[in-house]
Amino acid sequence: MKIAISADGPTLESSVTHRLSAATYLLIVDVDTGAFEAVPAVIGTNQRGAGVQIIVTAVNKGAGAIVTGYCGAGIASQLKDSGIEIVTGIKGTAQEALNQYRTGTANEALREDQHRASSYMQRTGGVIQAMKSSCRQFATMLPVLLGVVLLIGLFNASVSKEVLMSIFSGNAVLDSLWGACCGSLFAGNPINSYIIGGELLRYDISLFAVTAFIVSWVTVGLVQLPAEMAAFGRKFALLRNAVCFVMAIPVAILTVVIVHGIERWLS
Amino acid sequence: MSDEIRRPPRRNKPKFNRIYFFPVSIVLIYVVLYFISPYTVFVALISSGKVFLSMLVPLLLIFVLMVLINLFVKPAQVAKLLGRDSGIKGTLLVAVAGILSTGPIYAWYPLLRDLKEKGAGNYAISIFLYNRAVKPFLLPVMVDYFGWLYVIVLTILTVVTSIFIGYSVNIAVTPDGE
Repeated sequence: MKIAISADGPTLESSVTHRLSAATYLLIVDVDTGAFEAVPAVIGTNQRGAGVQIIVTAVNKGAGAIVTGYCGAGIASQLKDSGIEIVTGIKGTAQEALNQYRTGTANEALREDQHRASSYMQRTGGVIQAMKSSCRQFATMLPVLLGVVLLIGLFNASVSKEVLMSIFSGNAVLDSLWGACCGSLFAGNPINSYIIGGELLRYDISLFAVTAFIVSWVTVGLVQLPAEMAAFGRKFALLRNAVCFVMAIPVAILTVVIVHGIERWLS
Repeated sequence: MSDEIRRPPRRNKPKFNRIYFFPVSIVLIYVVLYFISPYTVFVALISSGKVFLSMLVPLLLIFVLMVLINLFVKPAQVAKLLGRDSGIKGTLLVAVAGILSTGPIYAWYPLLRDLKEKGAGNYAISIFLYNRAVKPFLLPVMVDYFGWLYVIVLTILTVVTSIFIGYSVNIAVTPDGE
C-alpha cells in the first residue's frame, strides 16, 4: 500500500508539514518496501489550487492514505470520497510518520479525524461546502473582473471608433490574426475575454476578430509559457502554443461562417 | 490526541495578492486621470457602471452553475477520467476532463506530466489543455454577449479542433512515432 506524506523537502528526513496545503513535496511512500517518490508542488504553499493539486496527485499516484499535520474539512471530505484515508496530527520527520503509520500509532488520530470530517459534512452538508468553494472561486475572479469593467469604461471614454477601425478593417483573415495576437498576449479567466469581446462588438469590430481573441485567450498562453515548458518540455510547449495560435484563425472564420449560415437558413 | 489537531495552525501572514495588482493599477489610472480630465473619468465611470449592471444576472447564473459543478464534480473524479482508456473513448474522456477541470491550470501540471511519463502522450495533454477553453459555468455570460447559436457552434468547434491539435502536436513533437 502507498501513502502520501506532506513534507517540506524531497527526502524522508524532511519534516511533515503543519498543514496539507503547506507541503512543498508530497512523498509517495510504499509502506511495505519503504521505497518513495518525491512529487514537488508546482503551486506555492497555501496558494490557490494547492488543495486541488494534492488531491489530484494523491489519486493519480494511487495513495491509500495521506499523512499530514492538519487537513481542512473540505479537502478531507473529497479525499474520503475518493477512498483515501486522512491521518492528521502527525509531527516530526517523514520517516517517523511512516514508522507511526506502520506501527498503527496513528490509527487513533485517523479514526478521530475521519469521524470529524464525516460529522462536519453531515453538519454542513455538501451544498454548503459547494457554496463555500464557489464563493472562494467567485472572490478570486471578481477583482480582475472589476478591473476589466473599469478598463472598459476608460476605453469607451477615450478610444474612438475610428482608431479601432483603422486596425480592424473587416477583412476576415487579418481581423482574426489581430484578434489572435491580442488574445495570446493575455491570460486568465475566460470571462474577461467575453466581456472585452462583447464590448468590441459594440464598436463594430468584426466577429472574426472577437472570436479569434476569445479562442486564443485561453488556448495560447504566453504568460504561462515558462511554467508549461518546465512541466512538459520546451519543444512541446512552444509547438502547442504555436499550433493553437495558428488554429485560432480558421476556428474564428469557421465559427462566424457557420453561425451566419445557420442564421440565414433560419430566417 | 492533542487539542491543536482540531484547530488549523495559523497561516503565515498573506502577502499582497497578485490578483489585486491589475484592479489597483486601473484605479490609480482613474485617480491620475481625475486631475487631468475629470469629465473623462465621469464618462468612464458611467460606462463601467452600465457594463457592470448588464452583467449582474449572468454573474448570478454563473454562481449557481459554480455551486452545482462544485457539488457534483470533484477534482478527484476528473483525475480518474484521465489515462484510463485509449481510442475514441479515451479521447472523449480526456476532453470531458479538460472541460470539467477547475482551478488554475498549473494545479493540473503535475498530473499531466506524470501521465506523459506513463505514456499518455502529447496527444492527450494537448486535448486536455485545449478543452479548458470550454467553461460550462461561464456560459451564461457568453450567451448574454454572443447568443446561444454562437456559443453552441464555438463549443463544438473547440472540442473538434482539440483533437486536431492533439494529433498535430503529437506528430510534431514525436516525428519518429515514438
